[in-house]
Amino acid sequence: MAPNKKISLTEEDLVRALKGKETIAIQALYDMYSGALLGVISRIIQQPEVAEDLLQETFIKIWNSADSYDSTKGRLFTWMINLARNLSIDKLRSKDFRNSNKNQDIENNVDFIDSQRKITFNADTLGLRDMVTALKPEFNDVLNMVYFKGYTHVEAAEELNLPLGTVKTRIRMAIMELRKHFN
Amino acid sequence: MEEAKAYIETGILELYVLGQLNVTEQKEVEEMAANYPIIREEINAIEIAMEQYAVFHAIKPTSGLENKIFDKIAPLSATKSKENSSATVPLYSDHSASTIRSLRFALVACIGLLILSFVALYAMNDKLVVANEQIVSLTNDKQKFASTVSYMKVANKDLQEIAAITGDPTWTVVQLGGTNIAPKAKMKVYWHKSGHHVMVDNTRMSLPENDSKHQYQLWAIVKGKPVDLGVFDAESQPAKLLLAMKEVGDAQAFAVTLEKRGGSAVPTMEKMVVQGAISI
Repeated sequence: MAPNKKISLTEEDLVRALKGKETIAIQALYDMYSGALLGVISRIIQQPEVAEDLLQETFIKIWNSADSYDSTKGRLFTWMINLARNLSIDKLRSKDFRNSNKNQDIENNVDFIDSQRKITFNADTLGLRDMVTALKPEFNDVLNMVYFKGYTHVEAAEELNLPLGTVKTRIRMAIMELRKHFN
Repeated sequence: MEEAKAYIETGILELYVLGQLNVTEQKEVEEMAANYPIIREEINAIEIAMEQYAVFHAIKPTSGLENKIFDKIAPLSATKSKENSSATVPLYSDHSASTIRSLRFALVACIGLLILSFVALYAMNDKLVVANEQIVSLTNDKQKFASTVSYMKVANKDLQEIAAITGDPTWTVVQLGGTNIAPKAKMKVYWHKSGHHVMVDNTRMSLPENDSKHQYQLWAIVKGKPVDLGVFDAESQPAKLLLAMKEVGDAQAFAVTLEKRGGSAVPTMEKMVVQGAISI
């Protein structure tokens, strides 16, 4: 996301505003996270229009389900990204969507999207691109399948013909690697 | 502590953050997180890493999408009503305030006047009713007076005529006296021989009042035979003082009998109340 002077609130204020049905909460969430959410959605659903429809649906669901968010169970963004991912996977698996999407190769979603769409990188994380792309591919692939392609870790294990334990380890290793770079 | 570290190393926390666990597994992780702060911290660190990873892969939505979303959620918003309730500040607040005040006074004054009008209207209506009643009674009085006046005019004219007749030698005054059946009865008949006029003077009549089924009938005796001269009523307050009867030019006497209403062709002799001969 490009640096901007848009609305940015602390997590606590955001949650309070969101649960209080104040539109400023959605404005802040949109300014802070719409790009990140669309990034995840777009890698599961390739069509830009459908992806943006899903982003819209995601925000409406965030707004309507705010009461079910429990801050003791995790961060607001984690809850939001899981909502976005679940909506996207539901769409991906829906009959009408599959029928209109037969010829697409689900395997290459990330590369395909990244080549089709203009990715807006945060200036502060420009150096990270090399780092992230330099992640060990065997670790990164598993994480991306689960995080960006809508696979469950069980499906990923089957797809990659790997034991479930190995998939879990690789996901953990990939995230450990990310944490090293981001923190 | 060892247990917590071992739990972390299973990789289940990453799957938790990635939303890969079923409900039972999720609850287990949440319990562990509640018991071990280190697990809570580990989850938080994973969440932040994934958040940054997502931000790193962000794709900017097309402009306009934001407004579409706000349009959909705005009707459900709690802040919406607050924003809309902001009052409009009038440009000339002092002026309009005084205008409103004076308009308010005017309104109160109008209402007061309206109430007064109603009271006045009610009072006037009362007076009008009284006045109408007075007009009705005055009209009645006037009619009474008018009829009295017209009666008096007629009576006056009759009296003048009676006075003229009695002073005129061409008129013969015939006194009729009571008979056996009505000794106290008497009356006067004026007869103008050449003009054949016969008048009955009600002012000088003293006959018993007849009822509604009978009438007195005046007869002239012409050459010994009775000639009908018409009927009349004996009233205490006669409508006419001077009554014109049928004409006769040649009579020797007059007589009155009580007959059935409308009169008879032949006099009932036994009902003769007065009679009088002409004394010339």
